[in-house]
Amino acid sequence: MKFTPRQPREDVNVSKEHPLVEAGTLIAGLGLILVAILVALVFLVELVLYFVPAEKEAQMFASWSPGDLVSVSYDDERLEQVESLLARLARHWPESQYPLRLEIHDSPAINALALPGGLIVVTRGLLDSVESENELAFVIGHELGHFRNRDHIRGLGRGIAFGILFAAISSTEGSAALGVSLADLTLRGFSRRQEAAADRFGLRIVHREYGHVADAWRFFERIDRSMDEFADMVGYLSTHPSPKNRVRSMIEDAGENGWSISGELTGLEW
Amino acid sequence: MDLTSVKGLTLSNTETIPGRRIVEFFGVVTGNTVRAKHIGRDIMAGLKNVVGGELKGYTELLQESRQEAIERMAEQARSMGANAVVNVRFATSSIAQGASELFAYGTAVRVE
Amino acid sequence: MEMLNLIVQFGLPLVVLVVAYVIGAYLERRHFRSIREREKSLQGFPVTTFAAMPASWRVGTSRLVSGSVVVSLDYFKRVIAGLRAIVGGRIKTYEPLLDRARREAVLRMLEEARGAGFDAVINVRLETSRLANSSGDGNGTAGVEMLAFGTAVTLDRPQ
Repeated sequence: MKFTPRQPREDVNVSKEHPLVEAGTLIAGLGLILVAILVALVFLVELVLYFVPAEKEAQMFASWSPGDLVSVSYDDERLEQVESLLARLARHWPESQYPLRLEIHDSPAINALALPGGLIVVTRGLLDSVESENELAFVIGHELGHFRNRDHIRGLGRGIAFGILFAAISSTEGSAALGVSLADLTLRGFSRRQEAAADRFGLRIVHREYGHVADAWRFFERIDRSMDEFADMVGYLSTHPSPKNRVRSMIEDAGENGWSISGELTGLEW
Repeated sequence: MDLTSVKGLTLSNTETIPGRRIVEFFGVVTGNTVRAKHIGRDIMAGLKNVVGGELKGYTELLQESRQEAIERMAEQARSMGANAVVNVRFATSSIAQGASELFAYGTAVRVE
Repeated sequence: MEMLNLIVQFGLPLVVLVVAYVIGAYLERRHFRSIREREKSLQGFPVTTFAAMPASWRVGTSRLVSGSVVVSLDYFKRVIAGLRAIVGGRIKTYEPLLDRARREAVLRMLEEARGAGFDAVINVRLETSRLANSSGDGNGTAGVEMLAFGTAVTLDRPQ
């Protein structure tokens, strides 16, 4: 036996594929799979919506009030007036299968929510800030639009489904925070379209009630002024379209339908 | 898995190949591969883990990997002009979550 | 404020990813270059995984020699490896790392042997072990140690 020094071929133990090529293939492939799963989940939620019609949903949530979400201020004397406004507006949506209820949430934040079972929640902050009944009517009409399109259930279903999906993915990747924000971003894309649809419905209701849509979007104009200069950029990423864009599309909407954008405003009794 | 002969090379885990004489040797050759099973298999294995027993997915994974490691080692030996690899050793190690490295090495030799 | 959050959440990991790729690729190329040079200078130094020796070799002294190195994957390749683990298959980004780590360990062993005046290393064994990181859950930094050891011998009359 003798020794003959020789070097083995070097590239045997290392694959030739460039890491960037592998990265591209993997990201594209997994992205496609992810999109497919998301589409399937959206379809699943729609299926549930189809099999649980509005009246069944209303039964299920008839006496439901989310105590941890809403701290109802029962002694607010404005409740009765807002309720009667809701009743008047609801007349313009006779097909509604929801027994509509309304509560005032004792919070300084300016917000309104549509919750399962036909429950509308408006905050004290919102009531404090609106300057005419027309403004408030539009906000309520907008929430009615959510009920009509059943966005409240859709949002809930998608939120849960996407949340679980992205949490499962990111736990294998070891970064839960990224998963949560990805789920959030995906949901926002969906919800902005729903907001626009609810805006259109709200505007229609306001027009039927008052014969014009004056001041319907004054609320957004005020928000817009109080927001900083990032508003436009954030608009792409937030749950609601930016106030500027909303006002613009509502003016367009009113123009298309030939609704007057000026008219006599109805005052508030507080 | 046939370990006696890969790509025309004789493999052995003893210092010699029984019945044949080593004429010359060229140096150490190595072969390695890192593999993972897809996430579905990982989940199934996780479930199987509860009751114990053979984790078929992983048995397969390690067999495939070992085969590839041997082939790569044999490829190196061939590139040196050897016709056998003697004293082959295996090393298995988990280098990351769900990924194992299979490594084979030996000495490339020419036998009669 | 929200922009800042977005930048921190998505931009920062992206920057780290790019930096990791560029620097990681550079370091890898440099390491392979150094390995090739050193392997060339060590060519002709006999290494075997068995104890048998040519009949013409007359062993003088012997000693255990070893070489080891702990390496870790760069962030970019770790992310790719993580994605690959979802699909399964060969984790290609790990291969260059393990290859150069192993060759480095062997080189260190041989350099130790040659530095101490030995003429060959026989019965070489190679070991790999994973170092758990502090969190112990397999995520985060996990190094891999490569160890090479064997018996270095001096030959009275190397052939």
